[in-house]
Amino acid sequence: MSGNGQVYEVFARKKRADRFEHVGAVSAPNEQLARVYAWQTYDEAKWFEMTVAPRDAFAAVNRPQAPFTLGGPSGSAPTADSR
Amino acid sequence: MGRFTDEELQRKVQEGFIVESEEDMTETYKRALITQLTVQGDTELISAPAYFMAARDAPSTNTMVSATAIIQDELGHANIAYRLLEDLGVDRHWLLYEREPAHFKHPYGFDQPLMNWAELVSANALYDRAGITLLGDVHRNTSYGPLKRGLVKVSLEENFHLRHGEVWIRRFAEAGGAAKEAVQRTLDWMFPMGVEWFGMPDDRKHHNAQLDFRLKGMTNDQLRRTWLKAVVPLCEELGYDLPAQYDPDTDEVELTYELPCQYDPEARRWLFNETITWKQVFQRWKARGPMNEQYVDSLRRSRFAVERLLAA
Repeated sequence: MSGNGQVYEVFARKKRADRFEHVGAVSAPNEQLARVYAWQTYDEAKWFEMTVAPRDAFAAVNRPQAPFTLGGPSGSAPTADSR
Repeated sequence: MGRFTDEELQRKVQEGFIVESEEDMTETYKRALITQLTVQGDTELISAPAYFMAARDAPSTNTMVSATAIIQDELGHANIAYRLLEDLGVDRHWLLYEREPAHFKHPYGFDQPLMNWAELVSANALYDRAGITLLGDVHRNTSYGPLKRGLVKVSLEENFHLRHGEVWIRRFAEAGGAAKEAVQRTLDWMFPMGVEWFGMPDDRKHHNAQLDFRLKGMTNDQLRRTWLKAVVPLCEELGYDLPAQYDPDTDEVELTYELPCQYDPEARRWLFNETITWKQVFQRWKARGPMNEQYVDSLRRSRFAVERLLAA
């Protein structure tokens, strides 16, 4: 059960007129669980609306890299025994 | 990674540059960030079983609900730190389920048992205050964009935990008698834990990558002083005795014991007369405290049990 499916980005807004704000991300094995994890984790406000989308659904418009990814080859970092 | 040298990146972040990608980092920056996030995630995570142990002593259904709400927040905060680590290439499953308990990086204070409600609310007042002091500084100063955003939720919720703690230790103080004594007994061992929370004093710390790369803004001693100036005057006002004194004229706090000193975890008592070296303190931290394995195990046990069921 290593690796947790994929990363979903979480957006939410407090009121109807508000813009969506990027509030964080969750790792989940599927969209259903991503919705549950997002709602449980980012519960700091009484959101009017929350939505999730897979990270790889976001395309770059003006920058070379899509947002949210750090742009590096994923998993390239040292497994941190940073002690 | 690697369009800057360490020196270039240090100069840029001191001028306000915000790191948003691998390309913006150096290897040293990334390593310092991973260490910082691991300490942060582990501290939030281990607070959950520690608080849960004491929450079982909640005096009513309502107070049980507040305590478990705090625990759920802490798990959410741990998740935020571990998610950021995952994006940096660190394996989250390894972080949570495969590391030796002794390799977790939370402060020694969270390796201690929290036995009852007085101890839980004292921990909210002292340890969550330490959390706000540390993370508030990171929130204001960090050069890492994703962490700055991640801390918005954390800061909001930690303030609720702190209020929970302060309201309750006031309530115990006003009740007096055995109630006040219960908190006093807790503060006797917990306050010096909080003093140690901020790590080695500045003159003992040789590497300061977190400051050089603006992963935080204040030094250990500055953070400790900020915490003391919040905790000591409040406890004095409530009539609790601490081995420290607040001077309103200079607005400074002085400890009335010699740092560092030895702790006896079995007796839950500080041996103020037994001064030791910081090297010995560091060894005590590395050896971890009495609840280390039990707390880590309690976060893992049922996952493994359910995995076995599902595999059968």
